[in-house]
Amino acid sequence: MKYGPREEEAFSIDLSRSGLFVINEGNYMYGNASLSYYDPATGAVENEVFARSNGFLLGDVAQSAVMYDGLLWVVVNNSGVIFALDPATFREVRRITGFTSPRYIHFLGPHKAYVTQIWDPRIYIVDPTACTITGYIETDMDFETGSTEMMVQIGKYVYINCWSYQNRILMIDTDTDTITKELVVGIQPSALIKDCNGKLWTITDGGYEGSPYGHERATLARIDADNFVIEKTFTFDYGDTPRALTTSSDGRWLYWINDGVYKMPAEAQIPPSEPIIASGGTIYYSLTISPENGDIYVSDAIDYTQSGVVMRYSASGILLGTFNVGVNPGNFCWRAAQ
Amino acid sequence: MTRCFSIFIVTLVLSLVTTGWAAAQNDWWNGDPTFVTPIEESAVVAERPLSEIGQQKTELDSTALALIVSQSMADVLAYNSAIFVKQYGRGSLATVSFRGTAASHTQVTWNGMKINSPMLGMTDFSMIPSYFTDRAALLHGSSSLSVTGGGLGGAILLETAPEVREGLELNAVLGAGSFGTWDGFLKIGYGTGRWQFNTRFAATLSRNDFTYRNYNKKVYTFDEAGLPTGKYYPIDTNRCGSIRDLHLLQEVYYKVDNNNKLNFNFWYTGSLRGVPMLSVDYREGTSYTNQQAENTMRSVLGWDHTGDSYILNSKAGWLHTRQNYDFARDKGNGTMAAMVASRSNINTFHAQSELKLFLAEHLMLNAQLAAYQHFVKSTDRNALSSADASPADKITIGYEEARFETSAYMGVKWNATSRLGLAAALREELYGNSLSPLIPVINVDYLITNKLTAKASASRNFRYPTLNDLYFLPGGNPDLLPESGYSYDAGLAFADARADAWSLKASATWFDSYIDNWIVWIPTFKGYWTPRNVRKVHAYGIESRAEGKLRLADDWMAEGVGSFAWTPSINHGDPADWADEAIGKQIVYVPKFSGSAVASLLYKSYKLTYKWCWYSERYTTSDNDMATRIGRVLPYIMNDIVLEKRFAAGGTGITLKLAVNNIFNEEYESVLNRPMPGRNFELFIEITPHFIK
Repeated sequence: MKYGPREEEAFSIDLSRSGLFVINEGNYMYGNASLSYYDPATGAVENEVFARSNGFLLGDVAQSAVMYDGLLWVVVNNSGVIFALDPATFREVRRITGFTSPRYIHFLGPHKAYVTQIWDPRIYIVDPTACTITGYIETDMDFETGSTEMMVQIGKYVYINCWSYQNRILMIDTDTDTITKELVVGIQPSALIKDCNGKLWTITDGGYEGSPYGHERATLARIDADNFVIEKTFTFDYGDTPRALTTSSDGRWLYWINDGVYKMPAEAQIPPSEPIIASGGTIYYSLTISPENGDIYVSDAIDYTQSGVVMRYSASGILLGTFNVGVNPGNFCWRAAQ
Repeated sequence: MTRCFSIFIVTLVLSLVTTGWAAAQNDWWNGDPTFVTPIEESAVVAERPLSEIGQQKTELDSTALALIVSQSMADVLAYNSAIFVKQYGRGSLATVSFRGTAASHTQVTWNGMKINSPMLGMTDFSMIPSYFTDRAALLHGSSSLSVTGGGLGGAILLETAPEVREGLELNAVLGAGSFGTWDGFLKIGYGTGRWQFNTRFAATLSRNDFTYRNYNKKVYTFDEAGLPTGKYYPIDTNRCGSIRDLHLLQEVYYKVDNNNKLNFNFWYTGSLRGVPMLSVDYREGTSYTNQQAENTMRSVLGWDHTGDSYILNSKAGWLHTRQNYDFARDKGNGTMAAMVASRSNINTFHAQSELKLFLAEHLMLNAQLAAYQHFVKSTDRNALSSADASPADKITIGYEEARFETSAYMGVKWNATSRLGLAAALREELYGNSLSPLIPVINVDYLITNKLTAKASASRNFRYPTLNDLYFLPGGNPDLLPESGYSYDAGLAFADARADAWSLKASATWFDSYIDNWIVWIPTFKGYWTPRNVRKVHAYGIESRAEGKLRLADDWMAEGVGSFAWTPSINHGDPADWADEAIGKQIVYVPKFSGSAVASLLYKSYKLTYKWCWYSERYTTSDNDMATRIGRVLPYIMNDIVLEKRFAAGGTGITLKLAVNNIFNEEYESVLNRPMPGRNFELFIEITPHFIK
């Protein structure tokens, strides 16, 4: 290997089978983010597919990815860029730049999407077809304290959790692109999802010890989206670090990591006391649920500076296999079979 | 600013040339301006002072320090030693590390005062101009314990030194280089029988906007219908990399009598530097401010007293650093919005005494006591003051801590026979309310022949966590353990010379270190980094060095120095979990091999110097992943040349220098995805007018 032009490989993925993209954050300021692709049917995995296919790098801190309109959209946080890839070849087909520090993209249509940011109080409105920034949704935060994260849409409203040194969920009217309501939750809501009943769920991480913003016990809260109120709050113990909240594809089950992996029905009145998958000394980093068979995929970042591992468990928590991915596998994205 | 600077240096050149006249007799500018100097007879036995028994010490030649006046100590060390210099870009942070250790394992002293940041533990060598350094020495491994604790890799001693002179002396260097770089250096010295005054200025301005082929991005081309027609790797510009540095050094030396000398040294650094963006960053540099401002003042007041059978040296010092990092972006209307406004403020007060007591002709007792009182205030970013606060109600996140540190040393050095030297010492350190274990060190050397010496040492080693390690918010780990372990080394040193014909010095040393609780900062799933102890690291290998001179003919001479190091540094800690592949692997960003060489050919008043340095691959992942195509920092070789010509004109010495850096235009990275410049040029004129005494 020599410093210079990078070889381009030709991939041709069979789109008739579903596939799993693993978004590997890499390390902040290393520029070693990467994309892995896993075929659940064969167990085959290809790492660094973006760089291998395109002949250049994905960038610094890949935060999230989503499938829309037949393309995989990858948000690369500290490179300030969003790439759209052909999921069969992993070749770049579109690119949107001009962001401060993008975190997630949510599509409202082929010509409109929202992009959340950290260190920027604005939610960007983009035209993903023209690859242009068309506007902003202003918030009352400023650049130092601005943080908007995950987006969930119910009807014409998009809900956004404000995470870093924040404690709010925003409700945005997509007709007017304005914030219509805000809901105060616990300190630092790190995730936001929707269940089968149209309820919102958030995990608040509680901040950290010594934070001037406050430090409290982490919570899992259910929010009635219609009335925009907290219906139920489950409080974790001090020292617990719940994260990676997600649902089964039908929204009937909630999953999260808190040392082990927990699973809970959306209608539960009390949280589970035992994990479905014990940590066994493994430091779980992120998880996703197969939309096809409910298999649980959990990533392990190990020491955060080496290639991570993804463990595949059955829906009942039996280990089915493992595969190696990139550094800090922090997010997943499923591609449905065509 | 650049224009004013240009006018200033042109005025300076004219004034210097017109004021230089009648000269002293023994200076090259009044006679033969040759670079060719006599070669002296030497051997190991002549270089074996009692205070350095068994020490692994490398002294950098003064010509290495003066070769390119604009170079920082990072550049000097890269080409004149085998220690690893990690550069984050041209004119950016540069750290050094010995023997397979980390940057914070290198202790750095300036005129006896430790100048490592109490927050970070390391020193930025890009901020130390070689023009301000008269003597530089490297103490490898446990040899550093004779000066300070904490140097698990070693220590670098930087010193200014008085020149014995009568009257006024002046030296000025002006430089212009690629990427909009302007350098100005001025040294004014004045001496009487007892007093010596030196004032030095060093200023650098650089746009530092070099271009490079960016293999980490691609640009696509499209036809009028919007269909792709091609793609290419763009020529990118180093963004946010500008440099504005000003250094001032004031030295005062007073010889009270033959037994007492006083000195005062004051060094100011004012620096405003951009922090270059990664090559994978798609944000427009013009829309962002990404810069670091530093104001540092270092001062040392010293007293040297020589008695009949002892030498007493006492110092007191103060170090102040204010460092601001600002990351802001244009809101689109020309106003900049702050995103990160990091501030750190350090005040360190220092006092130190050292006694060398000669109990007999071949027996010396050495005692040192050094104390540092640090006051640190660090804020990293602003956040809302509480969960209930209004958006305007913000508070800074950071810490404010004070720590008192003391280091005591007691040693005995004894030339047991004319061939055998023995030294034993103990060091003890107090930091905050904690006490280090006793740190013993034993050194032995043995003169095998008059030209060949064997040296060996064994010691404990110990380094306590920095203030950021313990208190940084978020991430500081108050439960962090100090690093400790044992080091051993043994080697041979050879020296020989034939007067005015040739000289040769060579050394090779094997070393072996075991370090427990090695501190590494790692990311967490909380979104910030935190330090933790890696249980055990085994760093071992070989260092070697050779230097020599050869008289080729009456007016011809060749000289050179070369260094090579093999430095495996292996993680033997406990695995993080069952999947951990890092055990038994090389520590991240520590090359296994490094080498450097500087060779010069001298003919009368001409000198041609070739500089070369090489680093093997540095792994960026703890599992040393070689299959990756995105995380490798490949080996690189740098080749520079410098051509000099001296003129003696009416008592004024003038030297012209042309430096060509990276002559083969190698594309490379020192740190992952940090662009480095290709071939570049620097031209210098150095003027040394000599005044009537």
